Amino acid sequence: MQDEIIRELLAFIDLSDADEAAFEALALKIFAYQFRLNEPYRKFAVRRGRTPLTVRRWRDIPAVPINAFKELTLSCCPAEAAERVFMTSGTTQGVSGRSYHPTLAVYDASMLVHFRQRFMRGRERIRMGILFPDETAIPNSSLAHYLALALRECGTQDSAIYIGADGLDTDRLFAALERAQAQGEPYALLGASYAFVPLLDALAAQGRRFSLPEGSRILDTGGYKGQSRALALDDFYDGLSAAFGVPRSACINMYGMTELSSQLYDDGNAVCPSVKSGPHWMRTRVVDPLSGEDVPEGEIGVIVHHDLAHFNAVAALLTEDAGRIVPGGFHLLGRVDEAAAHGCSVAVAEFIAAAKGQGA
Amino acid sequence: MKVFAGHLPGLSRDDVEWREATFSAWGESVKVMLPVLHEAQARALCADIRAHAGARLKTMEVARIAAAIDAAIARLLDRDHPLRREAERLLPVVTGYDPETVRLGLTSYLKTFRLPQLKRFLAEDFGNPGVLDAFEPTPKGGFVRAYGPELLLHVWAGNVPGLSLWSLICGLLVKAGSVGKLASAEPLMAGWFASLLAEIDPEIGACLAIVWWKGGDAAAADIFLHEADTVMAYGSNATLAGLRARLPVTTRFLPHGHKIGFGMIGREALDSRKAAAVARLAACDVIRYEQQGCYSPQMIFVERGGPVSPAGFARHLGHELAAAASRHPRRRLSAGDAGAVAAWRNAQELQALDGAATVLGGPGDPWSIVHVESPEPLHPSGLYRTLKLVAVDSLEEVPALVGRFRHFLQTAGVAASPERLHRLAALLGAVGVTRVAALGGMTSPEAGWHHDGRFSLLDLVTMTEIERGAELAAEGFAPYVD
Repeated sequence: MQDEIIRELLAFIDLSDADEAAFEALALKIFAYQFRLNEPYRKFAVRRGRTPLTVRRWRDIPAVPINAFKELTLSCCPAEAAERVFMTSGTTQGVSGRSYHPTLAVYDASMLVHFRQRFMRGRERIRMGILFPDETAIPNSSLAHYLALALRECGTQDSAIYIGADGLDTDRLFAALERAQAQGEPYALLGASYAFVPLLDALAAQGRRFSLPEGSRILDTGGYKGQSRALALDDFYDGLSAAFGVPRSACINMYGMTELSSQLYDDGNAVCPSVKSGPHWMRTRVVDPLSGEDVPEGEIGVIVHHDLAHFNAVAALLTEDAGRIVPGGFHLLGRVDEAAAHGCSVAVAEFIAAAKGQGA
Repeated sequence: MKVFAGHLPGLSRDDVEWREATFSAWGESVKVMLPVLHEAQARALCADIRAHAGARLKTMEVARIAAAIDAAIARLLDRDHPLRREAERLLPVVTGYDPETVRLGLTSYLKTFRLPQLKRFLAEDFGNPGVLDAFEPTPKGGFVRAYGPELLLHVWAGNVPGLSLWSLICGLLVKAGSVGKLASAEPLMAGWFASLLAEIDPEIGACLAIVWWKGGDAAAADIFLHEADTVMAYGSNATLAGLRARLPVTTRFLPHGHKIGFGMIGREALDSRKAAAVARLAACDVIRYEQQGCYSPQMIFVERGGPVSPAGFARHLGHELAAAASRHPRRRLSAGDAGAVAAWRNAQELQALDGAATVLGGPGDPWSIVHVESPEPLHPSGLYRTLKLVAVDSLEEVPALVGRFRHFLQTAGVAASPERLHRLAALLGAVGVTRVAALGGMTSPEAGWHHDGRFSLLDLVTMTEIERGAELAAEGFAPYVD
């Protein structure tokens, strides 16, 4: 059964596009598969009154809240049979969400097909500089694996990782950028958004800027996560563009998460917020978080991703990200605001922080 | 619709810069103009208030002040008074609470500030309230008199309507010149009350000002923080820590942080006749202010062993919340609030998957109850009528479940027999609970209550004593000395 799903998915990813009917057929099939083999998800779906017998449209497939990946083992295969487990970097309560992958074949195919389409844009290979630790250093990081794959499959021989045990190797990176500039060869910088911030600061401190050759591009992902100071989107992309000589339209933001097997991209950040979209084996909805119903196009709600490639866990994921559907995709508007205390009852965040503070 | 907030004696509307804040709810919106004072204006205002209070308020008898407060409150209780009508119309739009909750809440709150209640209030803290007017003899010998601050600064927070009146009235009763900083979430009541007072007794009205600055505007805050000799502040611990850090060490700081309330229902309240009535009372506490008051219940502990089980009580409560939804509708939630409610529900549903919890109320209902059978420590709800019922074998277990959050505890709503009420109160008091209320009365503290366990008036004053020895020594210098 698993083999059949994998085979079908790989074939589906290989298609040039998929219409609504084709997506729906496979989505229902994968829902039935996950319902049968993923016990916590089955219970969740039954509670919602959604079973393969009652669900006829892919939009009715129940989306699991992202927190469930922390609390439950959401896997169709036995957890110990997974080839790889991707884990979220510790968040609010120090519990990691986990995604179990019995094989990385689907993840890798999904990543590569869409990465080539959205970032490589017709180019076979490009010289890359990676601003994220190596996959061997953090094997449970989906981003490390993603970047390793990008480097291996789409990078040139002289591509390199510039974050090691001692942190960011600015000197070596700047030398590589100098070289690319001198040789007139397009260069690609890829990494966590927060890794770019100290780079921008270092360049500003040295009064230095690069003018990378035409065709150069930048990929950032993941936001700042408290690892660097937070910049407004326009300031960030203006900064990147000025520091590296890469137009904002070639600064691409990748939106991905450990709880998915596919990524979403924009087509550059000439204008923020950019329009983001996923591949044809993925759909994004914006819903009212309480009812789970789609909100009208243009209205703000919570983002739901339906990623068929995440076949072993749960394809339909209710995120904590706010967004709105726009022509061509959606706007990602950041985290849904933690409701601040309006009255004088203690807010959840303050309570948890205090409880942690006293070791409770 | 546009209203001007605040009360700025000596300043005309044209002298002041105004910032507009728009509030929308219940299909209406209102623009509130908030005063933004320049540094010089703020300093002059503080100096004026201090001077007026020194010259007038301090020399008045407390009875005159109480009478003026009583007269102002009487007008606010009069449903035909234009200001009361304005309050009933605007406060639901500004705070988002349903109009019926606002109306009932205002009345039950305001009536705790009538003259007899104010007298009780004074008697609660001062055995002899005469010490506020003059030196009074003390049992140990000598005389004592109580002096309020010259300039008391109130920093209000939150959207519970009229919360500001509490500290404002306390300040007036001890004859403090008062400057109040409006809460951005409910910027109207304090200004209305101050204007009413000024109309009733202009001399008193000149001794208080209601101002505003933007939360986080340290420069604006500092002016007031440095002018005041006592500061009473409301808000999160982070807000309070920020204020305290900027205060001169000699300034008295009286913080009221955010709190968490909970309910306790004994098996003696859970027979088939009483359970529905108790559920109605609990529902009332949940609905009033959408659990956003410091005294509102976030969790209810329900004892096993009564004729009605905790699961049965959960169904009663669900029924009451559903029934109350038409009289007290829940407002349309903002994206953030809906997200918080959804996050709370989602977490409960995940817990329910392995049978550890039962969720009542669907995602489309304006309420949710989750019922768990194993003991759980206290935790905030998702607000807006989201409540966890925790079954316990005995209510005596509850202090251990709430005690680790001592600094956040305030109100416990208890339904139990008289004997157990007293036994439980002793246990609750020991872990930090400062108010044991009746279920159904959690959101209406009685007149003269000790807010967060403190002395509302006594904490504001300093006592000046004439020692017995000084009295005796003075005799030696009397003109009639032999």
